[in-house]
Amino acid sequence: MRRRKSTFRKFQHNNTNDGNGIENSDKTYISKDIEVNKEIIEKRVGLGVSFDTGVRTLEILGKQVQIYFVNGLCDMTAITELLKELMKLDARDRETPYVRDAIENHLTHVQVEYKETLEDCITDMLSGLVFILVEGEEKAFVLDVRNYPGRSPQEPDNEKVVRGARDGYTENIIENTGLTRRRVRDERLRHEILQVGVRSKTDICISYIEDIADPNLVDIVRKELEAIELDGLPMADKVVEEYIVNQAGNPFPLVRYTERPDVAAVHLYEGHVIVMVDASPSIIITPTTFFHHVQHAEEYRQAPFIGTYLRWTRFLGMFASLFILPLWLLMVLEPQLLPDALEYIGPSEDTNVSEFMQIAIAEFGIELMRMAAIHAPSPLTTALGLVAALLIGEIAIEVGLFTSEVILYVALSAIGTFATPSYELGIAIKILRFILLIAVVSFQLSGFVIAATILLLLLVGIRSLDKPYMWPFLPFDGAALWQILIRTTVPSLRRRPSIVDPQDPIRQSPE
Amino acid sequence: MNKVSVYNQKVAIIGFFGGLIWSCVGYAAFSLNFTKMGPAMAMLPWALPQWKETYLGHLVGIFFLSLLSVVVAFIYRLLLQKWESIWIGIGFGVFLWFVVYYLLHPLFPGKEPITSMNFSNLSTTICLFVIYGVFIGYSIAYEYSEMQRNEA
Repeated sequence: MRRRKSTFRKFQHNNTNDGNGIENSDKTYISKDIEVNKEIIEKRVGLGVSFDTGVRTLEILGKQVQIYFVNGLCDMTAITELLKELMKLDARDRETPYVRDAIENHLTHVQVEYKETLEDCITDMLSGLVFILVEGEEKAFVLDVRNYPGRSPQEPDNEKVVRGARDGYTENIIENTGLTRRRVRDERLRHEILQVGVRSKTDICISYIEDIADPNLVDIVRKELEAIELDGLPMADKVVEEYIVNQAGNPFPLVRYTERPDVAAVHLYEGHVIVMVDASPSIIITPTTFFHHVQHAEEYRQAPFIGTYLRWTRFLGMFASLFILPLWLLMVLEPQLLPDALEYIGPSEDTNVSEFMQIAIAEFGIELMRMAAIHAPSPLTTALGLVAALLIGEIAIEVGLFTSEVILYVALSAIGTFATPSYELGIAIKILRFILLIAVVSFQLSGFVIAATILLLLLVGIRSLDKPYMWPFLPFDGAALWQILIRTTVPSLRRRPSIVDPQDPIRQSPE
Repeated sequence: MNKVSVYNQKVAIIGFFGGLIWSCVGYAAFSLNFTKMGPAMAMLPWALPQWKETYLGHLVGIFFLSLLSVVVAFIYRLLLQKWESIWIGIGFGVFLWFVVYYLLHPLFPGKEPITSMNFSNLSTTICLFVIYGVFIGYSIAYEYSEMQRNEA
């Protein structure tokens, strides 16, 4: 037992050494002696230890040929096809001094690359490509036979529309760039790819349209991405977001996410820069302001009039979600503030629990319910709904814990939160509401007013990628604000939003 | 020359809408009894008929304040446009508040002076002026720096 442990440790030790070797970029060139290569690769990727890596050795025209692969990431039919062709070549058995050329001519694949170092080969292999070593040769053939496990495009759950495209981004970055390019057939669309993460080597793609997007912005984003030093990015886009924008202590979302290729394309045409991270269907739109989070694709699928109506309903809902509870609590605590027309507001009977505690408990209950609904498996959600409705609704009132008014306003706020198009913004508004409630219960009217002012000033002070967060409201830009208040018709949109500093500010060229 | 006139136009718009938006908010605060100073206060110095005390007075007050704000915006543009900082705006707001409620107090017959205002009345009016100041100040400073950047 002890011996085993020590060999394990030794093995680990070796591995870390190798890891360092990769980082120090000491390149190992492919040796002419194929057995030497095999030994190095075996040690590096743990052939025989990891069951999903493999090598297939063939004897072709008298030379040894090795095909290295990772079986979970490759298209096996493509490899079989390849093997078949190579075997046929061998079966014909014509003597030739140019074995390498003969093999190259029989690689049944459109894309063949040549690599000279084992590091490149191994990285490719671990990305799902295969590489082929031929005895006595110093170059490897690399063939792209990737076939990643994944789903096909589906409508994203949290950005549904009644009409319009039903496809959504997937976890596959290649498919995602394809989905974008389907909508932007512009030769100037750029998909820059770079790899981040010392161990994970995650692909990240920066997309922009070259003659629209602000080159400075592209540079900033690229530099921020290149500066990321991490083992890996298993949480993909979220990690990238935290590196691009410094978000500590700020509950507000500083970038916009979308899973809809049409939304992404709209933003590309406006001059935004988009960041896609492999293995995540959410893509990042930069730069973002507060008001990017209150719009929804559905508005642009309806007539402008209806779109405006939808938007105003949503604004009102969000506004109510933020202010109605604190205002109600204020009116309860200081009834003399109530205008004559609203005198009926306020609890009519005395309760055992203070209004603030009622609100706090109800909010806590709703928050729990929301979390439970996310995590509960679907057969249980019906039961959950029943329990929640009964407990929080009827029975809590009958027991005398809650007054019905509290339930009404808490429910209204909760619905407003759910109607916020951006999930992140919804939660941030919930936090603001809670701060306002605490301010009201501690200092009544002046607490409410001062807290609201400070929160607004803090929001105004946020700069994400050096763009003011509350633009176009504050700093005020009338034309841009008009486009947020009113869903204008597409033909009337002449200019791109100035916040992205577009190189070409006019949407439709005059010709 | 052209750029400057575009800039001036923007300053005027910022001033007008700053006055419009925040005097509307002030009217809302007045309706909820947060403060006793509604936009109609701007109408008090003028010898007008009785309607200046009703909601009509507030509406006219909102309009008058919007126009007055254009002047305020140009004052800011002349004095403080170079500093793109929220604090300048806050200071500007507090200064305006002081001017209106202390220096100009004799103009508003029937309104209590600063010294006898209660705390909630005080905080509501100060906060409103602070946000108004930031709105005007930050917007103008942003437009100014945008104009400078585009020239460079």
